[in-house]
Amino acid sequence: MPQVPSYWSTLTTPLIRQNPVTLQILGICSALAVTTSLVTALTMSVSLTVVLTLAAGLVSVIRRHIPDTIRLIVQIVIVASLVIVIDQILQAYFAEISRALSVYVGLITTNCLVLGRTEAYARHHPPLPAMVDAFGNGLGYSLILIVIGGLRELLGKGQLLGAQVLPLADAGGWFTPLSLMLLAPSAFFLLGLLVWAVRSLYPAQIEQPEYAPAQLKSPAE
Amino acid sequence: MNRGLWNRETVAAILIAAYLPMALFWLWLEGTDALARLGFTALVIAVWHLVFMLTRAQAPSLAAVTAAFAIAMLAPEDLGIFRLALGISFGVVMGELVFGGWGRNVVHPATVALSFLGYGFPTAAWPVLDAPIAWAAIPAALIGMATGVMPAQVIAGAVLVAGGAAAAGLLGEPALLAGGIVLVLLVADPVTSAITLPGRWINGALYAALLTLFATGWAGAAPIQIAVAAALLTSLAAPLLDEAVLALWVAQRRRRHGRT
Repeated sequence: MPQVPSYWSTLTTPLIRQNPVTLQILGICSALAVTTSLVTALTMSVSLTVVLTLAAGLVSVIRRHIPDTIRLIVQIVIVASLVIVIDQILQAYFAEISRALSVYVGLITTNCLVLGRTEAYARHHPPLPAMVDAFGNGLGYSLILIVIGGLRELLGKGQLLGAQVLPLADAGGWFTPLSLMLLAPSAFFLLGLLVWAVRSLYPAQIEQPEYAPAQLKSPAE
Repeated sequence: MNRGLWNRETVAAILIAAYLPMALFWLWLEGTDALARLGFTALVIAVWHLVFMLTRAQAPSLAAVTAAFAIAMLAPEDLGIFRLALGISFGVVMGELVFGGWGRNVVHPATVALSFLGYGFPTAAWPVLDAPIAWAAIPAALIGMATGVMPAQVIAGAVLVAGGAAAAGLLGEPALLAGGIVLVLLVADPVTSAITLPGRWINGALYAALLTLFATGWAGAAPIQIAVAAALLTSLAAPLLDEAVLALWVAQRRRRHGRT
């Protein structure tokens, strides 16, 4: 019987080494769409982490009662109910951020990351490990979102959380904003660079090439 | 010489030779300013080639000179040293070197660098190239096609469609001149254009069609900007064109012979 991993390692491996965004490239639709500023990225991170943890706990509690044939429907119903609750809370207390996030909070329902964790982990583990694993994955997702959101806001506007950090050239400073950072492609570039960095750190994650170029016969040396 | 004369560096050297008429006219008209830009661009690219040679054992290529020439000629003006270096670094590293060097890239590094600078700093003014440089693009294209380093079908397809559009009055002279320069510098590239023959015709035609579309529908854009955007989209579409042509060919063979 394999050794049961400790709660600490369940919580910390999804942070960088098995980060769901950089290793499995899950949940990038929202990761790319909401990272134009740090505030929206933070809100999205918190919403997703809360939904994911609670959904994993609920699915895990009733895991022996879910019929296999309709398990996806059951999971989606649970996730969707939680998302609606979160969405209502955001609309009630953070109306402005809620407008900035538009449909993306609602789209947490279809986020591959949430369904992937409930389907692959919470369905086979007791509630506490399931929630710890979900919380760790939520934190890993949040880490990527905050890094990308921070970089995009800093380089695109010279601000962090709405406060001017780098003095703009228009206002007598030296920093010229890179407006490309506010467009969607820059999120792809940053995510690609991040994946590159993580895979340089952990070479085991590098995928095998699909095609190998034909080997030229080198002359006898 | 165990692999014959036609290796990667020969192609790069002939490509440089083909660009010489344009380079001479450009340097003659723009003077030492242009020479300084070219030198600076080549220096930045050379540094990155050196870095990738030392860290990844990727052989540096003479093609760096062609990329340097295209960037120095077409990049927006008065960006300042730092931003220009940023754009060049992004284009060369993300467009070419991370894929394994010249010959394995999907998009031309100069196209990536120019698009990055254009979209990243929209306030910078694009250069206005004089008519003699555009005319010098014709001998450049002829040398390239005659030696076989530039795909003749791409140029022919583009000239046909652009000629039709100009005759119909859709393509003005500034867009036509900029389009010709960008066609020779960026689109008719042996690596990033389509590789199948029908794909090449479509590749050239697509470039000219996009050029016409942007020239008529994109208000307030500089001619070079229009041409670079068309070149970027065309080079992104080129692998798709090849894939479609190959799929058609396989389907045709299967219909005729019952198997591939």
